[in-house]
Amino acid sequence: MQTSRLSRLSLACAAAMLHSAAFAATQGTLGSTSTGSLSISASVPSRVQLSGLTDVSFVNQDPATAALNAQNVCVWSNTSTRGYNVTASGSGAGNAFTLANGAALVPYSVEWAASSGQSSGTALTAGTALAGLTSTATNATCASGPSSTSSLIVKISTASLQTMQASTSYTGTLTLVVAPE
Amino acid sequence: MPEVAIEAAATVAVTASGRRMSPRQWAAHRPASIAARFALAACAFVYPLALLPAHAASNKVRISSLSDVTFGTLASLSIDAISSQSVCLFSDTLASRYTVTAIGNGPGGAFALTSGLASMPFEVEWSGTPGQASGAQLFPNVPLSGQVSSATQQSCNNGPATSASLIVVLRSAALSSATAGTYSGTLTLLVAAE
Repeated sequence: MQTSRLSRLSLACAAAMLHSAAFAATQGTLGSTSTGSLSISASVPSRVQLSGLTDVSFVNQDPATAALNAQNVCVWSNTSTRGYNVTASGSGAGNAFTLANGAALVPYSVEWAASSGQSSGTALTAGTALAGLTSTATNATCASGPSSTSSLIVKISTASLQTMQASTSYTGTLTLVVAPE
Repeated sequence: MPEVAIEAAATVAVTASGRRMSPRQWAAHRPASIAARFALAACAFVYPLALLPAHAASNKVRISSLSDVTFGTLASLSIDAISSQSVCLFSDTLASRYTVTAIGNGPGGAFALTSGLASMPFEVEWSGTPGQASGAQLFPNVPLSGQVSSATQQSCNNGPATSASLIVVLRSAALSSATAGTYSGTLTLLVAAE
């Protein structure tokens, strides 16, 4: 009998708790005024966005001088630390950073800096994430706040340039993947 | 109006005799006169009540059928997230009119969801008809007046099942500015007869 009462009490308490958890909204009563309330919840997932990228063109590059192109880009992260990592992949075999003209290949290097206006940064390895970066962007596309947050640097060494045939175009694609941290 | 009816009847009673009453006559007639006055007063009170409709307006209101708003995990932060629900708003005034005031749990009643120290604003809209995805924007602690209810029963058990729409909006600008996390808050709706 004692156990039965306890069980019923437990069930009643559980039901009450379940009810309150499932129906947190309160309904108004009839009166000169009536007040109701409800809860609102939403989950904002971790998101990042990379924007502001421009194509890189080295034209009539002097083989005696290393080629360098630095551009400012926008990386936005909505995590509490505004952290992100970046992974670069080339269009060469195994995602290698190479430009090609038919079978002729020319390697290039990629660097990343978590601040804009930089002409050097941390060298990226194809397919390997560079972690621990932090964004200063306050808008997903840097439309407000800082207009850019990071630097992407592409370099071709003199040694590589000197392997290239004159008046010949070498092309390739660089893909950057940014992920929240 | 009832008092005017009583005085008119008394005047008729006096003038119907066509002559002044002596004190003795007055004393004889006084009990009947007092009884008549009571009767007339009672009639004057009851008669207007009898003319009133069976469901006289009582200036009472009720809001019900409210549901919690759960957006879940928002797949896209670049589009507005909108949640609309139809609620029962009953107003027992002559024109079924009411005002609605919304209060959030942010500072000063602001409409804000929080996740720890992070905050994200939201907007609230109200429509005097159910099934609407947009309505008049509500501002914290500011009554929206001129609303008319179509409800015929205080909890919409018969007649229209709902009579108004509550719309909660999370703007994309707020979403894309918010730190990742789970946000929550409460919204209180105060309805008053108008």
